[in-house]
Amino acid sequence: VTLLSYPMAAVWHALNHYAYRDAVFLAERLYAEVHSEEALFLLATCYYRSGMAYKAYRLLKGHSCTTPQCKYLLAKCCVELSKLAEGEQILTGGVLNKQKSQEDIVTEFGDSACFTLSLLGQIYCKTDRLAKGSECYQKSLSMNPFLWSPFESLCQIGDRPDPEQIFRLTSLQFFSGGSGAPPLFPISPAHTPSHNMPHRQVDTVLMETPQDTLELNRLNLESSNSKYSSLNTDSTMSYIDSSVISPDTVGPLGTGGSLLSKQMQNKPKSGRSLLGGPAALSPLTPSFGILPLEPSPGDPVYLQNYSHSGSGMEPPPPGVPPKKSVARISQPGTKSVFAQSGNSREIIPIPFNQTQTTAPPQTSTTPQVLSPTIAAPPNVQPRRSSRLFTSASSTAKENSKKLKMKFPTKIPNRKTKSKMGKGGNTPSNLNESIEILKLDSSMTEGKVSMGSPQFQAFSLQKAAADGLMSLMRDIGRGYLALCSYNCKEAISILSQLPSHHYNTGWVLGQIGRAHFELAEYMQAERIFSEVRRIESYRVEGMEIYSTTLWHLQKDVALSALSKDLTDMDKNSPEAWCVAGNCFSLQREHDIAIKFFQRAIQVNPGFAYAYTLLGHEFVLTEELEKALACFRNAIRVNTRHYNAWYGLGMIYYKQEKFNLAEIHFKKALSINPQSSVLLCHIGVVQHALKKSDHALETLNRAINIDPKNPLCKFHRASILFANEKYKAALQELEELKQIVPKESLVYFLIGKVYKKLGQTHLALMNFSWAMDLDPKGANNQIKEAIDKRYLPDDEEPVTEDYPYDSAEVEESQESSMTDADDTQLHTAESDEVL
Amino acid sequence: MRMTGIWAWSGIRSKSFASDSLKKKKLLPVRAMATPSKTPPGSDPKQLERTGTVREIGSQAVWSLSSCKPGFGVDQLRDDNLETYWQSDGSQPHLVNIQFRRKTTVKMLCMYADYKSDESYTPSKISVRVGNNFHNLQEIRQLEMVEPSGWIHIPLLDTVNNPIRTFMIQIAVLANHQNGRDTHMRQIKVYTPVEESSIGKFPRCTTVDFMMYRTIR
Repeated sequence: VTLLSYPMAAVWHALNHYAYRDAVFLAERLYAEVHSEEALFLLATCYYRSGMAYKAYRLLKGHSCTTPQCKYLLAKCCVELSKLAEGEQILTGGVLNKQKSQEDIVTEFGDSACFTLSLLGQIYCKTDRLAKGSECYQKSLSMNPFLWSPFESLCQIGDRPDPEQIFRLTSLQFFSGGSGAPPLFPISPAHTPSHNMPHRQVDTVLMETPQDTLELNRLNLESSNSKYSSLNTDSTMSYIDSSVISPDTVGPLGTGGSLLSKQMQNKPKSGRSLLGGPAALSPLTPSFGILPLEPSPGDPVYLQNYSHSGSGMEPPPPGVPPKKSVARISQPGTKSVFAQSGNSREIIPIPFNQTQTTAPPQTSTTPQVLSPTIAAPPNVQPRRSSRLFTSASSTAKENSKKLKMKFPTKIPNRKTKSKMGKGGNTPSNLNESIEILKLDSSMTEGKVSMGSPQFQAFSLQKAAADGLMSLMRDIGRGYLALCSYNCKEAISILSQLPSHHYNTGWVLGQIGRAHFELAEYMQAERIFSEVRRIESYRVEGMEIYSTTLWHLQKDVALSALSKDLTDMDKNSPEAWCVAGNCFSLQREHDIAIKFFQRAIQVNPGFAYAYTLLGHEFVLTEELEKALACFRNAIRVNTRHYNAWYGLGMIYYKQEKFNLAEIHFKKALSINPQSSVLLCHIGVVQHALKKSDHALETLNRAINIDPKNPLCKFHRASILFANEKYKAALQELEELKQIVPKESLVYFLIGKVYKKLGQTHLALMNFSWAMDLDPKGANNQIKEAIDKRYLPDDEEPVTEDYPYDSAEVEESQESSMTDADDTQLHTAESDEVL
Repeated sequence: MRMTGIWAWSGIRSKSFASDSLKKKKLLPVRAMATPSKTPPGSDPKQLERTGTVREIGSQAVWSLSSCKPGFGVDQLRDDNLETYWQSDGSQPHLVNIQFRRKTTVKMLCMYADYKSDESYTPSKISVRVGNNFHNLQEIRQLEMVEPSGWIHIPLLDTVNNPIRTFMIQIAVLANHQNGRDTHMRQIKVYTPVEESSIGKFPRCTTVDFMMYRTIR
């Protein structure tokens, strides 16, 4: 294996620099050469990362995969290619074999079991076995509380996971001290080969959903940091002493890396400026936020080379899979640059006592901020600091013993590498952590006083992780509230997030969606436009934004959005939904249908696209197709209440009021706070001659959203139909305050007055209604005026539903036929002549 | 219940037919007086579509022509391009048949004619017939045009001003300007009224404040 480590390192190196073609080529050569499972996995990884899951799938499929990481990758490919049954079989064993329990999976997959279970949960949920899926997600979360997507999925399938329980550090055994549970990340010896898993995860996520990656990355960083730090504590001691930290080691390193370092010299600065900005803003937060500042991007390749090539430090133990080292390789040299470029000098001068003092000048911190590259394996950082600590103070050893973390074989290898490269960074790391300390005084104060740097480092880690956990709890509560459609609660929770988290696309996007669900389209639009301003590259949630604009009939903004998104990402269903909405607003329904169909084509699992397509079919009166679309949407996501609503709407159109009510109520059971839904139910109940129920429902709706004019309007019209004219009139007067420019209101007022026999008031209101309807869209207003001379008994026929479909249709006449009218008139005038 | 609709036209038909025949009698001498007032162009039907009150449904129908010159057929008639046209290639009357798969509400036809480019090919007398099939077509509209240049809107309404419901529409060109034999038609569009998507059959609301709450999407 050691022999192969170099080629493998080269492959990983290429991978980490997104040079997928090179990586694939090398990996193919390598696999041809050795045909080992490891090489197979490497090749499959290359395929997968370069976005060709089908290649990875067929490759792995053609060979028996025995190692867990191969299985995991194969299953992942299966899910991506929607071969769910096969994926499940790979993970849990087939029909023939005994099905593996979750525990079996945990033991088989070790540290990566959290990802495996999450994947399995995904499979279960997609195949509609929600209970099992939810179990898997829960288990996955309990193993790794830093995972967000299982939580998100749990919320989406209608579970109510408790974020307080899930996002807790106490569940992290490694903090409490070696309880024997598998550590979160790949440190346990048994799973050394899977070391790369988390990174890969990060990477793939990176490609797919950019905005989540940062988050994930941080998480990764976080957890790995803590792991490593603890790791270092006990194992380091042996290695640390002379070789690592002594100036000599730094010296050789420096000379060796000088070439590289010079090349890289510029890089760190730019990186710093990029990352430094936000970092500077953030210090007020519960921050784990400081760690991401220095994502230890540069694991020096050459460093590693050194160790191999005979600096003689510590050749990696034979058992250590080369991959691990490879993963670290990613950023060549950056680190060492720092070490050399003067930070190393600082190591010594800065005493540990300084921890208590204020943060040292920024200069020392800054260099570390270096590379913003997300892909960098973030693991290495804190180790440095802890190492330093340990070396510097004798107490460290004792502390480390207390930690009792056992990471036997591996560690040395890692240590050597990291030691060499990173010795220089520590001081800054420390400084930063000091900042944390100050901020989270309550957490750490006691520990600082304890004065053992080791312990401090540990507590810093813990503080950072705690900060992250509390943030995740808050976000989790907000998201949960949103998913259970407690939108107001969701808005208030998410609005309380620290401003630098609040002002991110994800958080604002969720808030925007909450406003959207509350039918507060103005606010939703404001929030979403903010999202666009902050993250113009954000695609998620834009379909909601586009529907918001559709409701508000802002065609210009909508078409700009549509153009931008479709230009940017033609493979996202959101972009095509936006385009479809844009054309729908222009009443180009055929084109809109094409775009919505494309959205489905791009991602058949995108429920909202089906719904929008269904609405479009309703508009073109192809009700059968519309029904099919809404049913598909429900098939994809049972909790997609919009589709239930769409079904109800169709049944309403078909005058199957009972069915309509059932479907509306189903939608309401998902989103109980929707005043619009309640309003619809009220109308249906009225149509079913259950006027009392209808009024009750409408009252509920008005209680939920007093600003919803349609509820009031329908209540007024039901009162009117029940001949409670006074009450109707009062309702309408109130309504006039809310929507003073709606001609319909005046129209109905006019009708009420007519009923009351006050013809002049009726006429006045009718004429106002006409004035407010300049395009004359409503011919029936005119008609109502004409009809006032008719005996009253003629009207009751249509009174219940004063506007029969025929009337509605006819109403549209006036606007369009002006031209023909004139034409006819001219013809007639000719006749007269 | 709607099925009776088709027979209900007889009333209208006789009415409009009567006026048409009246027109015919009177118009001929009028034209002879040499100062015929030109048929004014109607508005672009696209604008009507934008208002959301009507929807083009020609694409749902099967179109056929009595005759056409190769390359000047249905495609050209329906391609949304005013430069291309259908040219008949046979004896009058020239027919355009529009058949729907199901009984369809039709509110209006729009056709584009351009006397300036087509001259003697420009239709001058058109008859619109509706029915279940070829064998029971009834004329509901006949109109004459004088040097039209632009869109011509032909509302299809029954006695009580409701849009008609039909399986089939036939447009017959009975005569062309200057006694031209073959005819040109540049576009024909068929419009159905849009049903309000809101619940509770209320008339169209006019303000966005109100409209936002109409539907969930």
